[in-house]
Amino acid sequence: MNTLILPWDWHRVVIEPWSLGTSVYGWILLMGFLINLTCGLIGNYLILRRMALIGDAISHSVLPGMAIAFLVAGAWQLPIATEGTPSPVPEGLPHSMAMVIGAGIAGIVTGLIIEWIHQKSRIKQDAAIGITFSTLFALGVVIISLYADKVHLDADCVLHGEIAFIPLEPFLTIGTHPIAPAPVVQMGVVAILTALGIGLFYKELLVSSFDPGLAHATGIRADWIHYGLMIWLSVVVVSAFESVGAILVIAMLILPGASASLLSQRLHIMLAWSSLHALLSSLIGLHLAIWWDTSIAGSMVVAGSSLFFLCWLISPSQGPLWRRLRRKSSTDTKAAATQPLSKTYS
Amino acid sequence: MSSERKPSDSIPLEIHDLTVAYQSKPVLYGIDVAIPPGKLIGIIGPNGAGKSTLIKSIMGLIPIEAGWIRLFGEPGKRHLKRVAYVPQKESVDWDFPVNVLDVVMMGRYGRLGLFRRPKAHDREVAWACLEKVHMTPYADRQIANLSGGQQQRVFLARALAQECDLYLMDEPFAGVDATTEASIIELLHALRADGKTILVVHHDLPTARNYFDMLMLLNMRLIDFGPTETIFTYEKLQKTYGGRLTILSEVADAVRQNHEP
Amino acid sequence: MNHRGLLKPFNNLWPLVLFWIGTWQARADRIGEMVDISLKDQFIRFASLEDPALRFALAGGVILGILCGMMGTFLVVRKLSLVGDTISHAVLPGVAAGFLWNMEKDPLAILIGATLAGLMGMVLVSQLTRHTRLKEDTALGMILAGFFGVGICLMGMIQRLPTGNKSGMDKFLFGQAAALGWQEIQIMALVGLIALSMIYLFYKELLVSSFDVSFARSIRIPVDWIHHGFMLLLAFAIVISLEAVGVVLVSAMLIIPAATAFLLSDRMHWMLLWACMVGVMAGVGGIFFSFLGQKLPTGPFMVLSAAVLFALALFFAPRHGMLARWWLRRSRTLRIQRENALKAVFHIMEKEAFTKEGVTVIALARSKGQTLKTTEMTCRELERAGLATLSHEEKALYLTPDGMRRAQTIVRNHRLWERYLTDAVNYAPDHVHDDAEEIEHILGEDTVRMLERQLNFVDRDPHGKPIPTIQDIASSGQTQASKGQGMSGYRNPS
Repeated sequence: MNTLILPWDWHRVVIEPWSLGTSVYGWILLMGFLINLTCGLIGNYLILRRMALIGDAISHSVLPGMAIAFLVAGAWQLPIATEGTPSPVPEGLPHSMAMVIGAGIAGIVTGLIIEWIHQKSRIKQDAAIGITFSTLFALGVVIISLYADKVHLDADCVLHGEIAFIPLEPFLTIGTHPIAPAPVVQMGVVAILTALGIGLFYKELLVSSFDPGLAHATGIRADWIHYGLMIWLSVVVVSAFESVGAILVIAMLILPGASASLLSQRLHIMLAWSSLHALLSSLIGLHLAIWWDTSIAGSMVVAGSSLFFLCWLISPSQGPLWRRLRRKSSTDTKAAATQPLSKTYS
Repeated sequence: MSSERKPSDSIPLEIHDLTVAYQSKPVLYGIDVAIPPGKLIGIIGPNGAGKSTLIKSIMGLIPIEAGWIRLFGEPGKRHLKRVAYVPQKESVDWDFPVNVLDVVMMGRYGRLGLFRRPKAHDREVAWACLEKVHMTPYADRQIANLSGGQQQRVFLARALAQECDLYLMDEPFAGVDATTEASIIELLHALRADGKTILVVHHDLPTARNYFDMLMLLNMRLIDFGPTETIFTYEKLQKTYGGRLTILSEVADAVRQNHEP
Repeated sequence: MNHRGLLKPFNNLWPLVLFWIGTWQARADRIGEMVDISLKDQFIRFASLEDPALRFALAGGVILGILCGMMGTFLVVRKLSLVGDTISHAVLPGVAAGFLWNMEKDPLAILIGATLAGLMGMVLVSQLTRHTRLKEDTALGMILAGFFGVGICLMGMIQRLPTGNKSGMDKFLFGQAAALGWQEIQIMALVGLIALSMIYLFYKELLVSSFDVSFARSIRIPVDWIHHGFMLLLAFAIVISLEAVGVVLVSAMLIIPAATAFLLSDRMHWMLLWACMVGVMAGVGGIFFSFLGQKLPTGPFMVLSAAVLFALALFFAPRHGMLARWWLRRSRTLRIQRENALKAVFHIMEKEAFTKEGVTVIALARSKGQTLKTTEMTCRELERAGLATLSHEEKALYLTPDGMRRAQTIVRNHRLWERYLTDAVNYAPDHVHDDAEEIEHILGEDTVRMLERQLNFVDRDPHGKPIPTIQDIASSGQTQASKGQGMSGYRNPS
């Protein structure tokens, strides 16, 4: 184990994980895919609406919302999953509810503070974003470190998540039959709701992302959609938070959509491409992590980034490959096109 | 245009067969013109005619596709420091932490060169330039606390502080009040009296006739250039603003699409 | 003038100090529960600087504050705040690679590795935005998180190595100023000095290219080189701050002090100075709080200290603070109310052909459609402003010469503007009143003179009422002629 990059071993990396007889890697892969998929779907809209950095901001600022939710839930003596004590409700449910609510509130508050600073003072929007989310994030880290005994979050884990622990989480059960680890179920629900939401509001989202003025003229409340998207983004981020952390989730929000936008210019095709990107990056990322024996979430981001650069390379409209091919055929035409014109009109 | 011209120092600006493309889309074709010294010249043309592009390419801010530009008889950027440029007003952040005097002082920076700080002399010049645009009472103000016309005058003062021989101004009259317009014109006349050459991109046809000695009609190519009396005719303006050029811009679009999809 | 400018920024420092003392007490109680050493001892240890580690940490905090404040100022005015965020995350793989160079925490190797990684991230962002249709924000976010992912992977691999466990690499995530040693301080000081002297040498180029790029190009300032050099310095500043603040929050130490300074100053050198001061205060504050609680990370506390200072500036900044803006709005509303009252008085007097000296409060209330009580309050307000006097029983109101002049000026503005709208802008005469109601309060003297000239010194408004002339206004101030001239600023046109 003394070398940085362990030698490639087909059996160890690819065969063994799936032949152990346990579903450990299956759950990790499923969780990774669900996170990538959900983030990728909503990320397409972030990119279209030029809100990529709002995604950055919200992924950081849900932290204090979660931490405070933990404290409040603790203060109310809600049955937070503690060892050994059987609870009447499914384990982990109240605390994830509290966290989702806390994160939703944090998301809205972030949006409002950014707008408020930006509009009520001479601070520009980019600086307002930077100030707001880093302050909130710092606040979250401080709460976590001060109340480490009450908040079940680890400061380092906040950055890169612990998707590897997913199979160890308590399983959600129906009757006595275990179904899936609670976070996976939560993420699955969020993923289904996201897909449903996009399906239901497809044209409203499209119009308001493309042209808020037109949306207003056709009676669509663009501001509601904006804040709805922010709330939902917070919910998505918080569901993924413990698995992938605050920063890697940004990559998962942006990479699938950015890759898809290089391959297509139509929204529904972009959504399809980003789903494929999500699947491939979680699958490849998992195996990279096994190969290198390192962070799984980090490896998924590495895989996603590599896929993005691959998409860039082969992109029919913007990639260097095609451009070079096309330029070769068009240099002559261009010279031919400009010169005679300048002669004609001068 | 006139066929025989000798490049000399007495001609502040000479443009020969200039073609400029913006993101591969040609916007100016084969411009040929020589500007005589000591004149106040208006550049007139419809939207998208390439007026600002012409000025920017003279300043070397946009790469040239073909042709050449000579400043004071010499090619290249050697005499660029004798040229002052007043960009369009919207291009700066008005909340930027500088006051009026700071902005005018920036006009001196080009002459100072690297590593040198402004001296007392530069300060005097800056004050004198502020005086010329009647802005001395506002020297201490942050630039956001000025009216639109005052802001424009500050930028003129900055150009004056450059102490140049050729002035290129991009729509200095856009959105200014009457006082400022009058004071700008007064200023331009004073500059001309000092033997400076001034090129002004102008949008408003009726005033163009009264303001300028010479006019340059531009619509992607040079339509005509000469003294205002001979240029400001119905036929020539019709030619400049007429719809015939749609073909040219369509071809330009085609060139761009062909080059960079 | 200059001296006042010099001292002014310090006037609003004392509430900061008060706040500081107030908060550490409250916060320290909380932290105190967690540590064995009593809070007082810990504070004394902090103040006496006994601990050599603390001295290094403080030196680091001061250098960091100055450097981040300087670079952040240019970052904020160039609207590159989020670029700073991206670079600061993108350095993580470089930190890991620097560690891998010789398997120990060699500050120089980490500095080089991290700087290279940060610059590589920036180059990639500019390539992406130039060669694809991706927008800048997307490219920034992607590089930020993508590089961070690579960094996390590398750190995971390092943790697995035998030397990796005690490498202290995890300190780079949230910062631990106590981990700073003599070697780190030397490098920080060196890089800080280089950055300072660069900013000093290229100050005017940086200033002009931040303010107006196209103008800077036109006077042949090498804008692109300045930009690249600035980015390099920025990467340096980020890298040397890493160990004290951590990767995640460095960008906050760049943005927040500079944004605070932006609210406090209107000129670049003042903004730089303020940003450095806020940066140093935040740096030292962060070290102080984390020292009180012992093993707490420094970065978040620095950011929170900076954020407190920012919030104070946001509310209480002398010119751009919310309180100042609110006050300005309020005083403007009050002025408009006063002027409207004066105008109403004038109208009543005009109706009576100026036969009477004053007006009754009842008549004023009737004309304004207000209750008697409100009107009385308005009258007292006018009296306070020296524009009118009330009779003994508070039944009648008499305008002072000053008030008369002001009233005439407002009426004149109103009627001239109505005239202008009907004559020059072709409004219908019955549509002009509402517009003039607003405009009358904001017309400047120059504009009024111009209006007058353009309207050929017309003497009637569209409704046939006379427009007070300058002579009228001047003569109503006969008794205080000199003062009146100065106040209204009108000169006789003849």
